[in-house]
Amino acid sequence: MNIKSETILKVNKLSKSVTLDDKQLTILHPLDLEVNSAETLAIVGSSGSGKTTLLSLLAGLDLPSSGEVYLKEQPLHQFNEEQRSQIRAKHVGFIFQQFLLINSLTALENVMLPAELANQKNAKTLALQLLSDVGLSERSDHFPNQLSGGEQQRVAIARAFITQPDVLFADEPTGNLDSQTGEHIADLLFNLNQQFGTTLVLVTHDHKLAHRCQRQIELAAGRLVTATVVEPQTNVVML
Amino acid sequence: MSFLNNAAAKQSVRLLRHELKRGELTIVFLALVLAVATVFSLTGFSNQIKSALIIQSSSFIAADRVLETSRKIDPLIIQKSTTLNLQHVQQIVMSSMVFAANDDQKADPSTMLLASLTATSDLYPLRGELLVSTTAEQLVNKQSQLVHAPNKNEVWVDKKVLTNLKVKLGEHLEIGIKKFVIAGVIQQLPDNSFSIFSAGPKIILNITDIYATDLIQPASRIGYKYLFAGDNKDIEQFSTWIKPQLNNTQRFYGIKSRQNALAKVLNRAEKYLSLASMLGIVLAAVAVAVGARRYSHRHQVNVAVFKAMGASRAYVSNLYLLHWSLLSIAGILVGLIAGYFIQFFGLLAMAEYLPNTVTNNLIEPLFIAIVTGLICAVAFAISPLIELFNTSPLAVVRSVKQTKPKLISWQQVPAFSALLGLLMMFSGDWKLSLILLASGLIIVVILLLFARLMMSLGRGVGSKAGQAWQLALANLKRNASENSVQLVSFTIAIQLLLLLLVVRNELLADWQAQLPETAANRFLINISKSQVDEVKKFTQQNNLVASAVYPVIPGRLTAVNNEKISNVNDPSVAQNSSQKSSLKESTLKENAIKENSAVDNNKANITRRGIGRELNLTWQDLLPEKNKLIAGKWWQASDSNAQVSIEEKLAQRLDIKLGDKLTFQLGSDIFDVEVTSIRTVNWQSMQPNFYMIFNQQVLQDFPATFIASLFVPELQQQKFSSFIAKYPTITVLDVDAMINQLRKVIKQVSIAIEFILILVVLAGSLVLVAQVQATMEERQRNLAILRTLGARGVLLRNSVLYEFIALGVMAGFLASCAMEVAVYFLQTKVFAMAASFHFKFWLLGMGSGGLFVGLIGLFSCWRLLTKTALHRHVV
Repeated sequence: MNIKSETILKVNKLSKSVTLDDKQLTILHPLDLEVNSAETLAIVGSSGSGKTTLLSLLAGLDLPSSGEVYLKEQPLHQFNEEQRSQIRAKHVGFIFQQFLLINSLTALENVMLPAELANQKNAKTLALQLLSDVGLSERSDHFPNQLSGGEQQRVAIARAFITQPDVLFADEPTGNLDSQTGEHIADLLFNLNQQFGTTLVLVTHDHKLAHRCQRQIELAAGRLVTATVVEPQTNVVML
Repeated sequence: MSFLNNAAAKQSVRLLRHELKRGELTIVFLALVLAVATVFSLTGFSNQIKSALIIQSSSFIAADRVLETSRKIDPLIIQKSTTLNLQHVQQIVMSSMVFAANDDQKADPSTMLLASLTATSDLYPLRGELLVSTTAEQLVNKQSQLVHAPNKNEVWVDKKVLTNLKVKLGEHLEIGIKKFVIAGVIQQLPDNSFSIFSAGPKIILNITDIYATDLIQPASRIGYKYLFAGDNKDIEQFSTWIKPQLNNTQRFYGIKSRQNALAKVLNRAEKYLSLASMLGIVLAAVAVAVGARRYSHRHQVNVAVFKAMGASRAYVSNLYLLHWSLLSIAGILVGLIAGYFIQFFGLLAMAEYLPNTVTNNLIEPLFIAIVTGLICAVAFAISPLIELFNTSPLAVVRSVKQTKPKLISWQQVPAFSALLGLLMMFSGDWKLSLILLASGLIIVVILLLFARLMMSLGRGVGSKAGQAWQLALANLKRNASENSVQLVSFTIAIQLLLLLLVVRNELLADWQAQLPETAANRFLINISKSQVDEVKKFTQQNNLVASAVYPVIPGRLTAVNNEKISNVNDPSVAQNSSQKSSLKESTLKENAIKENSAVDNNKANITRRGIGRELNLTWQDLLPEKNKLIAGKWWQASDSNAQVSIEEKLAQRLDIKLGDKLTFQLGSDIFDVEVTSIRTVNWQSMQPNFYMIFNQQVLQDFPATFIASLFVPELQQQKFSSFIAKYPTITVLDVDAMINQLRKVIKQVSIAIEFILILVVLAGSLVLVAQVQATMEERQRNLAILRTLGARGVLLRNSVLYEFIALGVMAGFLASCAMEVAVYFLQTKVFAMAASFHFKFWLLGMGSGGLFVGLIGLFSCWRLLTKTALHRHVV
């Protein structure tokens, strides 16, 4: 477990605007942010507040209109798509609201995917272990459409952790699940996060989920409005 | 990184395996399979049919090509044919008196006959069958055996020779100064001339005997015929080589260059097969294009996930290039196998109609099919694949922005070029291909505009209809852009199918009309005036279908508007300027006369020497059947002024117009006559046809013989024979063999056409299925939302059904409009038929469009419409 607290994500005057019908529309006003290693950060805000935009900039999925983003001290804002891909492959994991499993691959193959992308030799062993960790070892050869929403998200979590990323970005990970399943998924996510010492950046509507993070920032109309440090709940539930 | 990154390759194969198993690639896979299978089987099949037809019909000229000439030919020509591995036969044809001759006595001058002699080398006939009865027993039982040229000192003769000369099989004939044994009686002659005025019954002797007859003297009127046969490509090479060297005493022709009924059937059938194949390719290509687009869209989310996880563009490209290549290779291979079997079973089903001589050449169809598969797999996938590779990883957080499909954009350049390439490869005609493609594009643009218009009109109608209809039409309107593309694909598929169906029906009906059950199978020639009533009585008593009895009076046209005809049509003028074309024309014309049982016997000479030769003239009170007036008026029987009706083509060629004064010479009589009408003549009709028909006043006093055609059914043959035996001076021309052969060819062609139609229907259906599938994801989302909002299952099901039915009916309507335009052009420009309107096919188009598209749509969405499936999407 990584206990040394170093800055893993650093953002300076980051902003994003788009042109819509010949009009400049600012989705994200300049903001500064630092995230430390192993920290859990929740980005909250209402729909359209710019949460997902911020997440995609932090993860290097998109480029800012201005400002700087450093992930593991790498200037993502200066990198092209290919260079950012490499950074993502090395340091980043994702969990999505829509799960985004590859439908024509089995649960096991979905989990193996990032490890294979990173050319890890023991992808299958790792994947089986993680599936067992998320309680799905029996379902490893099932296809996503044979799994429930909660099960799919568990596969997605296993997939996200297989490369032991430095930062895990989760976009509304419980957004598509009923509250009970959502809680289970959240428990699992935080457990694994603790276990691997991963930095977690979480976009959510769910205040309960947000409260489990060490820190929350709230966006409104593309501006950073509040930043709160909360006492994270660290109850461990085995699934 | 090696081109195929290990992990990428592994994932690619894994994806492909699962996706194939789960049926996710079925449509695009089937599209590729079908494109290849269609092309393979169509190329193979139509090649086979074409060569089978040509071989079979070549028996009409006993060879693949014939060179006719009045002088001996340069030995180089024969040498060339030998180097090209062609078989050849040399013939000398002439007319001569022949005499009955017994062993012990000299020729009896009282039993002589003007016969048409053919002295031939041994291999005759090169195509078709010469059947001869060689014993009295065979002759009585009408049995025969297959033979070639007779041996030295022997002859094969027409039965008429026996009756006219009162000799028997095995007895002797004297031709010139040489005696021959009558070794056989001809039952079937493959290249029997249907020239009604051929000089007497046929006698075939061996060419080695002809000089011994002493008949060939300086200035003898003899003709030389050289028959050639061989493999198609050798024959073509030979034709190309020889054509530029032909002079105006030589005619070189194959079965297709003859303007007869059979050639017309063959040419049309060939065109239809090519057209069907081309449309089949277009449909299969459209299916691949639609499938490839869907393939790309379906994988976009996956690519976004791959990229979000750090996969580079190169990695993703490698993965999907391999994925697509493997899929394409599998598709092509399966397509080749399927195509082979389709062709195999198709040919098997037709085996009884095909001659054994057709060799199954698989190389060309194999090559064309593989190239087609590759072109489809590459060109139609390039743009969707590039779009796929360029998918932004951002799509994992924002829904994938689907680019609106544009039928007309630079992205389609590879696809359209590929289509053009395919059409060119198939038709070998870049002009036709370009016209097809360009007109196709124009049609697409017009259709797109119409489609938009119809969908917005539909919304207005829908608001007055039930809830499900409202929803359906609102859906159509909302996705107008996507739907209009879909509509255009439906339209094109339905249109092409309708087109093939309509043209097929027209062709079959046209052929049927040409050879009705009661098409004349006998021509009676040289009927004398006193026999006319007897003949009429016989046909009436026996209820035989017969043509009118036409008088025939030989005469010559000497002047047009007092201008001597030889000046108008001086061959030295005409041929200096376009020797080749005038030669060709005369060839065609001559054949038209001979093969179509026209009565005018020397039309070739009209062109070559102006009107120096005699025409066969007739008079009639009524316009003959199958003749159509295109200018002027037909006369009243009572008209006393001299009038003539002239055939259209001849009028054009001699520049004769209504009101012109023509001068004719009949024997020593010279008279003027006014042109009062111009007619078209159906030379394919089995009846006597004439270039010049006069009113009765002009010709009734001239001595004439008469001609008629009639249909004698099998059961009445005996009666007919005994009737005709009473009138030995009447010549009977039996065209049963020719008609049967023609019927057989038509039957073959019809089967081939049905078969190809099935293949094209398959390709068309696949386009429809692929297109419905292409919008499934979008529909999934919409249905899920509606369901969540509380829409009842029945409402959803009906709205989906109605939406597709509406699309299908609109497509059927647009397709019918487009079909009608296309059929008009095809009928008038390609098939040389009369244009017609096809209302029942409009109903068929709209009805089957609605039904088929509705059912496919409903079936494809069925899974989405069940509760549990919907649940999963919204949970």
